[in-house]
Amino acid sequence: MKRNVAIIGGGQTYHAARRHDVDQAEMVNEAVRAALKDARMTIDEIDLVILGNMEFFEGVHLTDCWLVHGSGAYGKQGVKITTGGTVGATAVCAGAHHVASGLFDKVLCIGFEKQEEGDTGAILSGVANPLWGRSMAGAAVGYFAMMGSSYIANWGATEEHSAMVAVKARQNARKNKYAHLKLDITIEDALNSRMLAWPIRMLDMCPASNGACAMILADEKTAKARSKKPVWIRAMETAHNEQFELDWRDVKTERLIFSKAAAGRLYRKLGVDDPAKYFDVFEIYEPATWAELIWYEDLGLCGPGEGFRLIEQGKTNIDGPIPVNPSGGVLSTNCIGASAMLRVWEAALQIRGDAGEHQVPKDVRRAMTTAYGGTNWTVMTALSKTLED
Amino acid sequence: MATKDKEWISIPMTVDVPYRFAAGGYMTKCLTELRDNGKIFAVECPKCKRVQLPPRVVCAECHVKNEKWVELPHEGTLMNFTIMYLPLTDPTTGKPHEPPFVYGSVRLDGATSVLDHMVEVEPDMDKVWVGMRCRLVLRPKEERIGDLSDIRYIEPLPGQKKPQTKSR
Repeated sequence: MKRNVAIIGGGQTYHAARRHDVDQAEMVNEAVRAALKDARMTIDEIDLVILGNMEFFEGVHLTDCWLVHGSGAYGKQGVKITTGGTVGATAVCAGAHHVASGLFDKVLCIGFEKQEEGDTGAILSGVANPLWGRSMAGAAVGYFAMMGSSYIANWGATEEHSAMVAVKARQNARKNKYAHLKLDITIEDALNSRMLAWPIRMLDMCPASNGACAMILADEKTAKARSKKPVWIRAMETAHNEQFELDWRDVKTERLIFSKAAAGRLYRKLGVDDPAKYFDVFEIYEPATWAELIWYEDLGLCGPGEGFRLIEQGKTNIDGPIPVNPSGGVLSTNCIGASAMLRVWEAALQIRGDAGEHQVPKDVRRAMTTAYGGTNWTVMTALSKTLED
Repeated sequence: MATKDKEWISIPMTVDVPYRFAAGGYMTKCLTELRDNGKIFAVECPKCKRVQLPPRVVCAECHVKNEKWVELPHEGTLMNFTIMYLPLTDPTTGKPHEPPFVYGSVRLDGATSVLDHMVEVEPDMDKVWVGMRCRLVLRPKEERIGDLSDIRYIEPLPGQKKPQTKSR
């Protein structure tokens, strides 16, 4: 990057199914205040505000304008980001590019969603092509169910494996005070939960959450002067997929699809040979259990068809050798516009050693995050504790 | 956080928005062939030879114009599926599909792409599987309107049994 960029502060709301006590601006302001407090800054010091959500979920467009008091953007430079489930990570990515370019020194990035205000499932039908396949659009569950059926048929995994992912996420979430679904569940509970779309059961899917996250990014000089624990953004990657193709739902695809293309480029930038060893923790975007298993494979944490063995062997547990989503992940908290930023912020907390009860019990110097959204595209971010890591 | 002893006002609202989407050059040809002749037309990339359905003007991978039209057979292989237990609303009609129902992705023989559609089969794990051979069933010509719904559903080819595999 042209200039080094650090995360010098961040904050999040408590995430919940109901937040009738706040409107969108009030909810966003909770996260903004938490981030400013964490960075020991005032809003006057911020040069640029980047706000993101999927505004069609709430049906209120131009949120950068409507929430200007809550975001702190009044009179400042700013842009709005709307990129599906990746929104929050895209906001961080855009913010980091603005700092790296040398044009801005202190950037506030915000992601939020108030899912209770709209009908997310119905609105998601608008993501499908209007002329080709929209009659069956209407929820993400069907897409992930087809992914699951492909995974089971091709790799020989069973529903027990997805249940293990469901349990890991919610047990980790119990350690995260901000998480939405803090469920003390067992494999049996997951396997006995209501079937939504074979092989996806209720506990295989993410919840609909309300919440916000905010992060403050700064250039190296500011970061070193202002922050005791800056976390460095070392690399970012994005990639789009082709539409109308099977791709992510075909576990045996040999195409260089979005997930593998972005990971490959990011690893080349950093000189990563073995991501499972290089990174100390991963925060990935898994709206459904099967997506987590496929992420393991696409990120190269194991070979193709071996993702379910990783979860079976407990390798991605919070205290395992390759911890994945110690925060509880998207399966436990999905406030869509904030979800991908939460991956980056949670990874930063792990590097700072500030994750609290869900801190990974080892030295965390490097972390990797993924985002997922739209009709298959991703934003990936690699973080480190020092510029030497 | 909200507390039970305090009142919070929230106001319900329904917004009904009509749209009209242009099919454009490639999709119009595809849909008129389907409507008038009951044929499925895809395009083949001159460079990578991938046979793309629905047909589109440019190959996303090679960035070259797709100009060769290829007629596809109505038979193919089920690549994945789900048995849906939720009453999903059909956004094109506003009415729910009655659960449980089966839908999945069929790869027509010779195509690179898949077509997602309803599978006309009992919602029973012994009656549907990945790899199942199937065919398209179209509406009778007089009922076709030049829309993907001119394909009523995918149905299994007769005489097949679910193979005993490593999957459940």
